[in-house]
Amino acid sequence: MAEHAVSSRPAAPERGERRAVLQRVAGHPAFWIALIDVALILIFGLLSPNNVFWTLGSFQNLAVDSAEALLLTTGVALLLGAGEFDISQGANVVLSSVIGGKVMLALGSAGTLPAILLGALTCVACGAGMGAVNGIVVTKLGVNSLVATLGTLGIATGAADLITNGSDLAGFPLQLQSAFGSRVVLGVPLPALVALALFGVAWLVLRFTRSGVRILALGSSRESAVRSGLRVDRLLIVLFLLTGALVGVAGFIDISRFGTTNVSGHQTDALASIGAAVIGGASLWGGRVPLLGALFGALLAVILQDGLVVVGLSPFFQLIATGVVLIAAVHLDQQRRQRSGRPGRVRARLRS
Amino acid sequence: MPTSASIEGRDEPAVIRARGLIKTFGHVAALQGVDLELYGGEVVALLGDNGAGKSTLTKCLCGVYQPDAGELELAGRPVQLRSIRDAEAYGISVVYQDLALAPDLTVLENIFLGHELLRTGLLGRAGALARGEMAQRADAALQALGIDLPSVRIPVSELSGGQRQAVAIARATMWTRAGILMDEPTAALGTRQSDIVANLITATAARGLGVMVISHDLPRVMEIATRVIVLRHGRVVLDTPAQGLSRRDVVDAMVGYAEEVHG
Repeated sequence: MAEHAVSSRPAAPERGERRAVLQRVAGHPAFWIALIDVALILIFGLLSPNNVFWTLGSFQNLAVDSAEALLLTTGVALLLGAGEFDISQGANVVLSSVIGGKVMLALGSAGTLPAILLGALTCVACGAGMGAVNGIVVTKLGVNSLVATLGTLGIATGAADLITNGSDLAGFPLQLQSAFGSRVVLGVPLPALVALALFGVAWLVLRFTRSGVRILALGSSRESAVRSGLRVDRLLIVLFLLTGALVGVAGFIDISRFGTTNVSGHQTDALASIGAAVIGGASLWGGRVPLLGALFGALLAVILQDGLVVVGLSPFFQLIATGVVLIAAVHLDQQRRQRSGRPGRVRARLRS
Repeated sequence: MPTSASIEGRDEPAVIRARGLIKTFGHVAALQGVDLELYGGEVVALLGDNGAGKSTLTKCLCGVYQPDAGELELAGRPVQLRSIRDAEAYGISVVYQDLALAPDLTVLENIFLGHELLRTGLLGRAGALARGEMAQRADAALQALGIDLPSVRIPVSELSGGQRQAVAIARATMWTRAGILMDEPTAALGTRQSDIVANLITATAARGLGVMVISHDLPRVMEIATRVIVLRHGRVVLDTPAQGLSRRDVVDAMVGYAEEVHG
C-alpha cells in the first residue's frame, strides 16, 4: 500500500527497500488476482481427467479464449479510469464483425489477401466509429455513459440483426483462420499475441505518458481537469474512439477464430469486461485502474469458464461467479471510499 | 468615490486593473461599476458581506463570467477574457476553496496537470512524461514556498486539507506570472493549517506576484493583507492600505455604517 511506501524510511536501507518492494507487490491488486489465477489452474489441473488442463493445447486454448476478453477489459478499464462506462462492447463486437465480414465477403473475388486485410480494417474502423458515437453522445449530448452505451447497445444489436436478418455470416476465405485465427507463433496463438501487444501499449500509455495522467485526472476529479484547462470533451471522444477500436479488433478475432459471425452471442461481454476490470482493482468512481489487475481479472473469467468445462461442470457457473464477485468488489470499494471520506458519486452522476 | 491609496508611485503597470465593471443577473445587479487594481507583490483582501459581489467580481477577473460593461486591463493591456484558459494565458490563475485537485493523482501529477513536461526525442513525441525533471521542479517550487510534504509522488488523497491547499497554491504559483486569485483559501481548514496557508500567501506575494484573497476569516486576512478592498452592494466602498486599519473600520464598511456616517 502507498501509505507504507511513504512512511517506511528505515535505518537499514537495503532490507527496508526489499521489504518496501515486497509490500508494494503484495499491496498491488494484480498480485492477489494472479495468485487466484494460478491456484485455479492448479485445482482444475488436478481435477481434470489425466490432468488434461495442464497440457500445452489446453494453455493455448486458454490464451486464444482470453484474447477477446483481454481487449474488451483493457478498453473498459481505460474508460473506468476516466470515470466512464461502456456496456455496448458486446454489441459493438457483433456489429463490427458483421460489417467487416460483409466487406470481406464482397471483396472475396478480388483476392484473398486484400479481402482479409480490408475486412480487418473495416472491423477496427467500425469499432472505432461506434466508440466515437458513444463519446459524442456522452460529451456533446450530455448523456450519462451508462445510459448512452445502453442506447448504442440496442442500436448496434438491432443494426447487426437488420444487416444479417438474424442469421450468421459464413463462407469467409479459409486463410482467415489458417493465417490468423488459428495461427500459432512460437507456441502462442496469434490472436492472443495481438491482444497482449495492444494491452502492452495501453499499459505503457497509462503509466508513462501525459495522456495516461490526463485520463486518470478525468476520472479522479472532472472539475480539476476542467480547471486545469484540459480539453475534456475532446479527450473523452478520442478515448471512446480508441477503446472502440480495441473492440473492433476483438470483432475481427471473433470471425477469424470461428470462420463465422456470432450475432446472437456476446450478450454478457460487458459484464465480463467490467467485472474483470473491477475485480482487478479498478474503481467504479474513476481515477484508479491497475491494468495488470484487469489483465489477470480477464484471465480469471476465462480460466473459470474453460476449467469448469474440463472438470465436467456447467460453464454457466462462471457467469454467476462473475456477477457475485463483481458486486462484492464494488461493495468493498465503496466501503473503502467511505472510510476515506469520499462517498461514491455514481448516484449523483446518474441524476445529472 | 473612494480612491486607491496605492496607485501613486508605481512604475510597473497593475497586474489587474478594472474600470467600471458591471454585471447583472436578471434583476440582480451583482456589480455596479467596480474599479480596482492589483499590483505585484501585494496581498489584497477582498471583503464584503454575503451577496456583496465578491465571487462575481472574482469570476469576472478570471474569465468565468464576462462583465456586461467596463474595462479590464491585465499587465497594462486591455483584454476580454472568455475562459479560465484565457486568464491563465495572461498570467492570472485561481485557487478555489474546494481544493480542486485530483485525489487519485500524485502531488507531482496534480501540479503539472495540463502543463506536463515531456521527455526529449522520440519518447517525448509519443507523450512520455519526464517525471524526474518534473519532480525536481516541483520539489524546488514547494521548497521555495516552505511547503513540507513527505513526497511529491504520493496521491493527494493521502494529504491533509492544509497540505492539499498548499499544493493548490504551489500549483498556481508555478503556472502564473502575474496574479493569483484565492477564493476562501482557508474555509475548509483548521486553525493550524490556516496559519500555514496564511504564511504561504505571504511567501507567494514576496515572490512578486499579486495576490487577491477573498475570505470570511477577517482577523487572519487582516494580518496578512497589505491592502483591503471592501465591496458592498456591488460597489467598492473601501480601498485602503491595511496598515493602521482596525477591524472595526472594515466591519463598518461591510455593513454600511461608514456610508451612513460619511455619505
